Amino acid sequence: MTPTIRTAMGVGAVYAIVLGAALLSPYDPATQHRDRPLAPPTRVHVVDRDGRVHLRPFVYADDESGPTYPVRFFAHEVDEDGSIGSRRLLAVDPPAHIFLAGTDELGRDQFSRLLYGGRISLGAGVLAGALALTIGLLLGCVAGFFGGWIDAAVMAASDLFMALPWLYLLLAIRAALPLDVSPGRALASVVIVIGIAGWARPARLIRSVVLSARTRDYVTAAAASGASRARLMLAHVLPEAFSVALTQASILVPQYTLAEITLSFFGLGVGEPTPSWGTMINAMLRQELSAAHWWLAAPAAALVVVSLLYHAAADALHQRSQVLPAGAWR
Amino acid sequence: MTPDPLLRVDRLTTVFDTARGALPAVDAVSFEIRAGETLGLVGESGSGKSVTALSIMRLVQPPGRIATGRVIFKGRDLLTLGEREMQRVRGAEISLIFQEPMTALNPVFRIGDQIAETLVVHGRATKRDARAKAIDLLRSVRIPHPESRVADYPHQLSGGMRQRVMIAIALSCQPSLVIADEPTTALDVTIQAEILDLLREMKSALGLSLLLITHDFGVVAETADRVAVMYAGRIVETGPVRAIFRSPAHPYTRGLLASMPGGRPGERLRAIEGSVPLIGELPPGCAFTPRCPNRFEPCPTAPPPDYPAGIGHEAKCYLHDPHMTALQSAAHPQSAVRSPQSPDAAR
Repeated sequence: MTPTIRTAMGVGAVYAIVLGAALLSPYDPATQHRDRPLAPPTRVHVVDRDGRVHLRPFVYADDESGPTYPVRFFAHEVDEDGSIGSRRLLAVDPPAHIFLAGTDELGRDQFSRLLYGGRISLGAGVLAGALALTIGLLLGCVAGFFGGWIDAAVMAASDLFMALPWLYLLLAIRAALPLDVSPGRALASVVIVIGIAGWARPARLIRSVVLSARTRDYVTAAAASGASRARLMLAHVLPEAFSVALTQASILVPQYTLAEITLSFFGLGVGEPTPSWGTMINAMLRQELSAAHWWLAAPAAALVVVSLLYHAAADALHQRSQVLPAGAWR
Repeated sequence: MTPDPLLRVDRLTTVFDTARGALPAVDAVSFEIRAGETLGLVGESGSGKSVTALSIMRLVQPPGRIATGRVIFKGRDLLTLGEREMQRVRGAEISLIFQEPMTALNPVFRIGDQIAETLVVHGRATKRDARAKAIDLLRSVRIPHPESRVADYPHQLSGGMRQRVMIAIALSCQPSLVIADEPTTALDVTIQAEILDLLREMKSALGLSLLLITHDFGVVAETADRVAVMYAGRIVETGPVRAIFRSPAHPYTRGLLASMPGGRPGERLRAIEGSVPLIGELPPGCAFTPRCPNRFEPCPTAPPPDYPAGIGHEAKCYLHDPHMTALQSAAHPQSAVRSPQSPDAAR
């Protein structure tokens, strides 16, 4: 298994997990277990206090003196009032709970919020990265391929965008937009703001690749056999820019994920009760909470893991692009 | 009255815009190619041969640009065509064969697809039957096992086979003119001969005209009908291939021929003294003046026009100006028009 495939599988697994949040999370992310605020992660046992080994893992309800409650797999969630909820990967019967990453101060299951929040944070990173790369690929190709005043104009604009302090710009733009919007529209505005602020760097990189690619003999040869400019660009120049774009994507997506988390952290992203890793990390600002409740750091740990995975993927892609097109790099 | 030539290049000037101004890489170049004819365009590296070829195809990249001139192909001035019309000419009516077949083929596409690209672009094949046509073309340029080779990538082929693929692409739409820019320079000598044979054969089979760009007089002698010799962006001599070899009229041509092996074994080759002037530092008159063994008074003053030097044979050299000859022989009694450097004398 090549490093590219291995790292791609790692990143893919993270997205599969957050996309499967509805099944994988034990609770609805907005459900407040009012009697259990700031509960530590529930311990899942296999051996009971009498030393007996259970085939099915189980939890205790309150303390380890009470009865055991087996963990049921792919079962329906049952509320305290006995009503039957949706099917979950892990479920325990009331009054026991299964909080794999503890609860927050409102008694919401952190693990479920982590999965649902990952949808927002990671999704925003992917969408914003796709937007920035699309703009960057388009403008970079056009600038590199046509040159002249088009190139000069695009590069001047990218200079301007690169010189802007983008984090503060994001804060300012997002702050100027209305705050009380639906989660979907809030996410869309975050994605658009990040994507528009971020196109300059990929555009410059892709322009430089296109500049060298378009002078290759085979591009001239294709032109000499009557290929149109559009065809030259799409068939002969773009593929070379594409591997660079892919590497860029693996660098930009975690960066933009972080950007969404930053905005949410400051309360400018998707608002409560919709979870985002940023809003979750915000709870750690309050020292009286974070000092005694270490599980509140779960989203930060998740962010570190995702960033490292992406970094490894970018590295593998870069290595791969160095050796792949034999003869094209002479 | 001879019929209209297939291609008539008329005072074509291509300049490169640099910080020191517009430097002419191709300077008022004129020549003609008739239907079915092979013109050898000969010159040293940097003499403007390839830029001439790219200018005819209108593929000169900035900072280069075509400044003035006309390129009359089948009665139309290519320089006045729109880009879309020009795309219909490229590859279909005029095609180009490159020096380096490795870099002129896209390394990430199968050769069959690259042949098909030209066919499909010009509507000569649908995507469905392009593969069959590509196999036919590979067979016509004598690539063994074309059915399996069609799916090969360029790196799987030898240099000679790649050049055959390039020729197949160039001939795919049955153009009337093929421009071959140093088609054999990157190849082994034995492969060179095969490729030249193939080009000659295809030329007579398809009745096309060939502009053969080379620095190798041997290739010209074997292949061309007429020769144009280029020096520092200008064509200094044109004529039938026999006349050029028998009685070269320009001292530069004489120098080139004298520097070729072909005399008696053990005889020293005579190199041309000095080196090619940089474009932008050309002397005001004839660009060859500083290196010319026959230079005399008028040479540094103004670039010489074409003087007749035989039937269909012209040279840009004051030696052939009837008014100057008297003056010249007075100045240099030994070196008259028929100079001892003529290879005829050596043979």
